[in-house]
Amino acid sequence: MNIVRGQLQDVFRDVFSDPALVLNDGMTAEDIEGWDSITHINLIIAIEKRMGVKFATAEISRLKEDSSSVGDLVELVAGKLKSSK
Amino acid sequence: MVNSNVGALATGNTSNLQETSVNSSCQRTSDLSAAVERCNASNDSERRTAFRALVECLNTEKKAGRVEELSTALRSVLTPMLDYTLVQALHRFYKLLPAEFKGRQKLKLAILGGFNTHQLRDLIEIFLFANGIQVEIYEANYGVFRQEILDPCSELYRFAPTKIFLATHWRNLGHLPSLSDGPEQVSELLEREFREWEMLWQTAHDRSGSQILQNNFDAPCWRSLGNHEARHPATITRYTAEINKLLSARAPSYVTIHDIDSLAADIGRQAWGDERFYVHAKIPCSPEYLVRYAHNVSSVIAAELGLSRKCLVLDLDNTLWGGVIGDDGIGGIRIGQGDAEGEAYLSFQRYVKALKTRGVILAICSKNNEQSAREVFEKHPDMLLRMEDISCFVANWTDKATNLRSIAKQLNIGLDTLVFVDDNPAERSIVRQLVPEVAVPEISKDPIEFIETLEKHQYFQVATLGTEDFQRTDYYRANAQRSESQGSAGGIDEFLRTLDMTAAIGPISLATLERSTQLINKSNQFNLTTRRRSVSEVMELIDAPDWVTVTASLTDRFGENGLVTVLLAHVRQDRLEIDTWLMSCRVLKRGLERLMLNYLCDLAQTRGLDHIQGEYIPTSKNELVRNHYAELGFRKTKTEANGHTTWDLPVSNYKALSNFIKRI
Repeated sequence: MNIVRGQLQDVFRDVFSDPALVLNDGMTAEDIEGWDSITHINLIIAIEKRMGVKFATAEISRLKEDSSSVGDLVELVAGKLKSSK
Repeated sequence: MVNSNVGALATGNTSNLQETSVNSSCQRTSDLSAAVERCNASNDSERRTAFRALVECLNTEKKAGRVEELSTALRSVLTPMLDYTLVQALHRFYKLLPAEFKGRQKLKLAILGGFNTHQLRDLIEIFLFANGIQVEIYEANYGVFRQEILDPCSELYRFAPTKIFLATHWRNLGHLPSLSDGPEQVSELLEREFREWEMLWQTAHDRSGSQILQNNFDAPCWRSLGNHEARHPATITRYTAEINKLLSARAPSYVTIHDIDSLAADIGRQAWGDERFYVHAKIPCSPEYLVRYAHNVSSVIAAELGLSRKCLVLDLDNTLWGGVIGDDGIGGIRIGQGDAEGEAYLSFQRYVKALKTRGVILAICSKNNEQSAREVFEKHPDMLLRMEDISCFVANWTDKATNLRSIAKQLNIGLDTLVFVDDNPAERSIVRQLVPEVAVPEISKDPIEFIETLEKHQYFQVATLGTEDFQRTDYYRANAQRSESQGSAGGIDEFLRTLDMTAAIGPISLATLERSTQLINKSNQFNLTTRRRSVSEVMELIDAPDWVTVTASLTDRFGENGLVTVLLAHVRQDRLEIDTWLMSCRVLKRGLERLMLNYLCDLAQTRGLDHIQGEYIPTSKNELVRNHYAELGFRKTKTEANGHTTWDLPVSNYKALSNFIKRI
């Protein structure tokens, strides 16, 4: 999980052009400046490309909800990586 | 936060931004250019690291308020090969630039989307910037393009665009047939479909006067009839293909068709049409391809503004053939049938020759012995490219940066119109750093990939193609011969006399409209005011009673130069005010301007006018004509702070200026 979080942190840093950004599981879109519905799409694209995963339509919706946290994202991506092994 | 940075950069009030971080790994501009070059030379696996270092450097420039460096660096790294996330990151830096660093040429672009254009808009903006265009964009809400056009009071018209991009896709087609429709019903639907789009263009054009860029329609990535889809008249695939044909054949000259369907096919329809992003965000294709999409759109707009590249400069060894002519000899190099690698170089030559046929100028820049390099073109039986295809041939041991400068000079074109292809990464790198105006694509070691790379860059994008484009190499070669006789003949008058020049001079007609407009939008050096106009704007002037249009074509003993000059003048009270005067650089110093002024004075006298007024508006490229009016005997009446000057010539006692051109 930590490895996945670290990789996602890299992606977030690129997407938000913030080299100092630090991710933790409790964060939501509210906590990251510039995370809106448009950058959400940018984020999805970047994660898919970098991590080699693909999100289902409904997963993209779920990640967009206010209550969705970085922890949920880490778990989802980790799960996808595990099942693809 | 972003906004406060913009303010600080724009006003120079950078007290808090100038504190450069002591720990930053990138503090000097030389680091920046090294970082830029690392990005440009990086392969796919190195790219992310290289860009991370670049972003750090860009942040340093931003903090120090060095906007010019920031702008140059951004422009040098932007290519259509970058991935979506990287270009978005670059766009965030672009937004910090004050307007004057965004480009010399201004454009007011309205984007009317049949889908969500938000991301596309940012990417178009930054690729226009890469082409030197300072663009102001009005982006309509998605899906309301018809209302925006039909409502005369819409925001669109308040914005007063100079160009409108109708960003539509197949879902915006209004009359998709149902499978049970027969061929006649489908034809009727197609006709109705076309007329509706035509009506939108006409309305938008009548009300705004702007040129329109209309997407054709990308076919969806599924076919309900499978293999039979293309044959059945009422399928979506067939319908989009038919409507695209109608767009190509019947769109009026003020509409440019942007071929998005080709891009979708290049990428692959399945990959292109990732519908997850349509259902989520109404994005018309998989967002990663928005980079190519925007680059394509920008290249077409740049071409319309005369900013396409003009000349392809090629290295020889391992670029046009395999092996080194100096070592392997004419029998040892690999070119031609029978050997896979030789065929790969041959197919690249075929591509290059096709570019030349449609008007791209070819030049050679190679470190070689000139004699043995020429010999390959003259004697090797399998070469497709021959000496007559090459407008300027430079093979010597001088460094390539110097040679490229000299090629641009000999051909009388700007360095920023050159594309340089060389297999040697060291040569590419040094050229990029010493002559950053020249485009130098990263190419693979494998010649089979050269074509794909050049295709992706769209350096030589075409807006319209005239018959003159086909003859360009001849013009430039004849020009080189003329320069030679200029050296040999006695004085300049003697030289001009021996040219046996004849000119046809007269108003712009429908037959010369297209070429005239092309010149208006392309000429930079001999251009007194650099005012650009669309085909329809020029057409209006032809008909306007208070406007005078003049154009001339010139022939000499070396051949036809074609239509080479345009003059537009406005009648106001007792004056004829020259609004636009420009000339193709290939006929400079021939005295054609003197013949034209004689013609214009006759015209003014016939119309009972007393004065001719001239204007010079300086740009970075038209220093050449700063004294144009003084040389023709005008008197300066006004000088403005920015160098803009106004000139007057009384018509009454005008004496016709001597010249060596016979009017026909």
